[in-house]
Amino acid sequence: MKGRFSLLMVVLALMLALTAVVPAFAQDPIEIPVWIAFTDDSRLGWAQDKAAEFNAAFPQYNVTITGYPNYEEIFTSTALAAEQGSLPAIVQWNEVSTQIARDSGYYKAIEEALGGRTEVNGVPFNLDDIVASVAAYYTLDGQFSSMPWNASSSIMFSNMTYLDAAGLDTPPATWADMDAACAAIMALDNAPQYCWTWPNHGWFFEQWLAQQDGLYANNGNGRDDRATEVEFGGDAGLAIFNFLEDQYNKGYLYYSGARDGDSWATVDQAFGAQEVAMAIYSSSDTTYYTNMGVDNGFEVVASFMPYNQEVGWTGNLIGGASLWLVNGLPVEEEDGALTFLAWFTNTENAADWHKRTGYIPLRNSSVELLTSEGWFEENPNQTVAFDQLNTSTVTPATAGALVGPINAIRGQITAAIDTLLLSDTASADVMAGLVAEANAQIEEYNLLNQ
Amino acid sequence: MTTIESATAITADLPREKTRIIPKRWWAHLFLLAACFIIGLPLFYAMLVATQTNSQVFNYQFTPGDSLAYNWNIVMNQNKLGNYMVNSVFVAVMVTIGKTVLSLLAGLAFIYFRFPGKWILFFFVLLTLMMPTEILVIALFRFVNALGMGNTYQALIIPFIASATGAFLFRQHFANIPAEFSEAAQLDGATPLQFLYKVLVPMSWNTIGALAVIQFVYVWNMYLWPVLIMQGPEKQVVQVGLRTLIGGDIAVSYGPMMLGAVIATIPPLIVFIALQKQFMSGFALTRDK
Amino acid sequence: MDPIIPILVVALSALAGAGLLALIFRQSARTMTVAALTGAMAGAAGGLLFMLPLNFCTFEAERSSLDFSFGIVLIVLGVLIAVLLVRWLLSALFSGRQLFSSEHTPGAFKHGWLAYFFLAPTIVILLLFLYYPAIDTFGLSTQLVKLGIPRTAFVCVSNFTSLVGDPKYLQAVGVTILMSVAIVVFSLGIALTIAMVAYLPVKGARIYRTFLIWPYAISPVVAGIIFLLIFNPLAGIFNHFYQAVFGVAIPWLNNPAYAPWAVIIASVWKSLGFNILFYIAGLQNVPGDLVEAAAIDGANAWKRFWSVVFPMLSPITFFLIITNTTYAVFETFGTIDTLTSGGPLGSTTTLMYRIYDVGFTNRDLGKAAAQSIVLFILVIGFTLLQFRTTAKRVTYGA
Repeated sequence: MKGRFSLLMVVLALMLALTAVVPAFAQDPIEIPVWIAFTDDSRLGWAQDKAAEFNAAFPQYNVTITGYPNYEEIFTSTALAAEQGSLPAIVQWNEVSTQIARDSGYYKAIEEALGGRTEVNGVPFNLDDIVASVAAYYTLDGQFSSMPWNASSSIMFSNMTYLDAAGLDTPPATWADMDAACAAIMALDNAPQYCWTWPNHGWFFEQWLAQQDGLYANNGNGRDDRATEVEFGGDAGLAIFNFLEDQYNKGYLYYSGARDGDSWATVDQAFGAQEVAMAIYSSSDTTYYTNMGVDNGFEVVASFMPYNQEVGWTGNLIGGASLWLVNGLPVEEEDGALTFLAWFTNTENAADWHKRTGYIPLRNSSVELLTSEGWFEENPNQTVAFDQLNTSTVTPATAGALVGPINAIRGQITAAIDTLLLSDTASADVMAGLVAEANAQIEEYNLLNQ
Repeated sequence: MTTIESATAITADLPREKTRIIPKRWWAHLFLLAACFIIGLPLFYAMLVATQTNSQVFNYQFTPGDSLAYNWNIVMNQNKLGNYMVNSVFVAVMVTIGKTVLSLLAGLAFIYFRFPGKWILFFFVLLTLMMPTEILVIALFRFVNALGMGNTYQALIIPFIASATGAFLFRQHFANIPAEFSEAAQLDGATPLQFLYKVLVPMSWNTIGALAVIQFVYVWNMYLWPVLIMQGPEKQVVQVGLRTLIGGDIAVSYGPMMLGAVIATIPPLIVFIALQKQFMSGFALTRDK
Repeated sequence: MDPIIPILVVALSALAGAGLLALIFRQSARTMTVAALTGAMAGAAGGLLFMLPLNFCTFEAERSSLDFSFGIVLIVLGVLIAVLLVRWLLSALFSGRQLFSSEHTPGAFKHGWLAYFFLAPTIVILLLFLYYPAIDTFGLSTQLVKLGIPRTAFVCVSNFTSLVGDPKYLQAVGVTILMSVAIVVFSLGIALTIAMVAYLPVKGARIYRTFLIWPYAISPVVAGIIFLLIFNPLAGIFNHFYQAVFGVAIPWLNNPAYAPWAVIIASVWKSLGFNILFYIAGLQNVPGDLVEAAAIDGANAWKRFWSVVFPMLSPITFFLIITNTTYAVFETFGTIDTLTSGGPLGSTTTLMYRIYDVGFTNRDLGKAAAQSIVLFILVIGFTLLQFRTTAKRVTYGA
């Protein structure tokens, strides 16, 4: 053992010596390490290709992109790297980590780093061009905090074979329409096993809440002041519970039992195998879902996420993640990171990213570009998420909640829905338990972040 | 694994199987064939599905599909299972070697040396049988990260190369070797390490083989610890790598999932079958001679 | 907190320690005096064992009465640990046994100090990666520590006392017990049945054995993945056949009544090979005619099996109960995480899965550390209980 450690020390010393020598060659590009939470070809691969393009255009920088498998792991890695003082320049965190990102002190607001500049190294940094719903989410204390990159919304995919057979030209728009459609679909001779499904992930609860203009937490959804308790226990939250319970009890709703991160794949399987007629899902996989129909011989139509007709629709909120600029970087590195962020999300790249994945085009200028290319005409499903967000009214509810332990509360919400669907516990009791648990989480979080 | 050495102790001294006449027992064959078949069924089915597309799975097709190459591409090229496999092989081999060496040395120290504090040290090692790593993961996670070993191979190897089970297995085994061997070796002027290498090791292949199988399979199957301590796919082990085939944000189908599961089972199966003889005799059936 | 409390705790613990040990060693006046004196010291130390690191926080006014009672339990526990340790040391001392010098070692090499060199790597690693984390777990369990938040807060024993009456925690205890018992009973029962036949010296016995024990090489994760396919609610092959025969499907993964059994079946399948292997090994050491008679002898077979063969297998059975319980408590994690992720309705959340859930999904390291300690104590308790109840009935030798 001793031998191995001393060997390690020698190697370490050598490496230290090397890093001390390296800056002497001043021509070497400035390293800009970027961590993102994707490992697949279409997303990590795309980002790496773009980084290579950027490095060629800006030889004074060298952007390297490292992929992590999910948002949880990138969060843990960041926390550990911060402890050891080895943070990269840019980190991608998911949207609900915004509050913890703000509390952590790891990051610097983009707008603060820009300090009034509208371009860096000749690359324009136009934040006014970002679509309103996305900008609203990532604006904290009146400042643009992090650079949005992958933003999506929750929409519905319908298998038109079943809908046509049931005499429906368009997918249902409200919960009541949904109920009626399911009654017709399940009465078909060749009815699917279930009418519809959705991933039991906390994000969908947040979406349905925002649609009803229901607040998630107090103090203006945590945007006026630090949230101290959740507010979703009221009518809007209960309405969601009752809707799900009713659909499940009628045998319309397929619930695989999988929760959180595991739940997405079960929906893919059910929809792909045509065991359900409709799936509420993330727009991030619009391309995949559309192709699933093409591959299996059925038409897939995307539509807005059905809403509670009793209350009406205010708007949906975004999902996805943003790119955070690490605090305390040397000036040259910070400028390099800003340059990359500006370039990486420029009009063309944002449009390309959208085409590649189905995440919404982040910039109004990208939307114009795509429209002029005729992209939306050819791919009507791809406009749905964008239209849904674009026609949303921005209120504190649809801007999205800022709650420190919201990741943990998401797990509590899905566990509560699990209880709701699988046990006889009344929805009000389930909700009461959930609210108590969530408030305890917030209280503990706030104790450590006063 | 904690009481393996006691089972060895229990069975090692018992008489060997006696040769008996072999009558025709068609019912025994029938029973065993049925048992083998039922035990093998889940894996056969997994192998079948590994060749199929999702729609073939959903249609309960019981003939091999034509999707093996496609599934292979997803498993190996898109999800880079090969990379995870290489990591797992490296970690498992390193731990197995490290553990065998350290256990041999510990066994040597406990049997062939007289030194103050032997009893205390023995107790110190014995006590760790009661401390499964799983229970310590929270603190171990913090400690290993504080050492700066998070997301390194060392984090998967170093904490596991010391083993009470191994130390006891060899201590037990050496204790059964007559003292004359070491006396003779000392007369020949052999150092303890020479004695270990030239005399003890050749007499211990069955125990070494048995420990190697147990350790290789244990490390290969390790899951919770790598889930926690490793971030990112580069150095991750295969058990965790298989998770990328089950789901998360990227939709997957059953064919690649099963193909991955089957591929991930091959290395421990090879080790197990290759060392089967040692495994069985080292543990239970006979004594090493 | 009243400043008198530390003095009170020390005095009472010392008194208790002295009294207990004096009672134990009451044979002669001399041993009794020595015992009482050391007992007083040990008792005082025992009382402080938990209270000093906790800084007597359970006696603070703002703590709940449950915290207070838990503090008392900790003092009693500390005193008992100290007393038992001293009792053991004293009886060794009085009986004149040498504790710290090594026993007679035939064939020992010269230069005993070399042994330290050979043992050093093992000891250092155990110290760093087992003992230190074990102690740190205790420290963590008194803190509010969240992953990713640098600040921490001392919360006394509330991480422990909040478990009392926590329905989710109690459910996890129940799930763990159900899974352990079911896995042990079914896996050992089936393994023994198969081993009874596989042990017979039929033609090709070796090949049969290989095909019976290979699932040992399957990992808990792979077992989970394969049964995820077999028990899938939409496309599962099991229900395809089951429905064809019985007309109904079993909701294996999305019904809390069946989900634990999905995990149990996958785990039994995975652990069967290991158990068959050891039972075959055990049977080979039982005189052959006894087994054969039990296997083929018609009416008497059953009785003869239980009265003759099974007792001879008891050491192996005892060993397998311990290893399979350990498997059920800890190693099923991989199966659960891939098959059910602890759901539905928490019906497959074992204590180990809960530690992971609390510690890493909720990022609450302090609570997870406290639950680790509770699980640790439960496992130790079970092992000791097994030793006490089973070991007496175990028949050794052939």
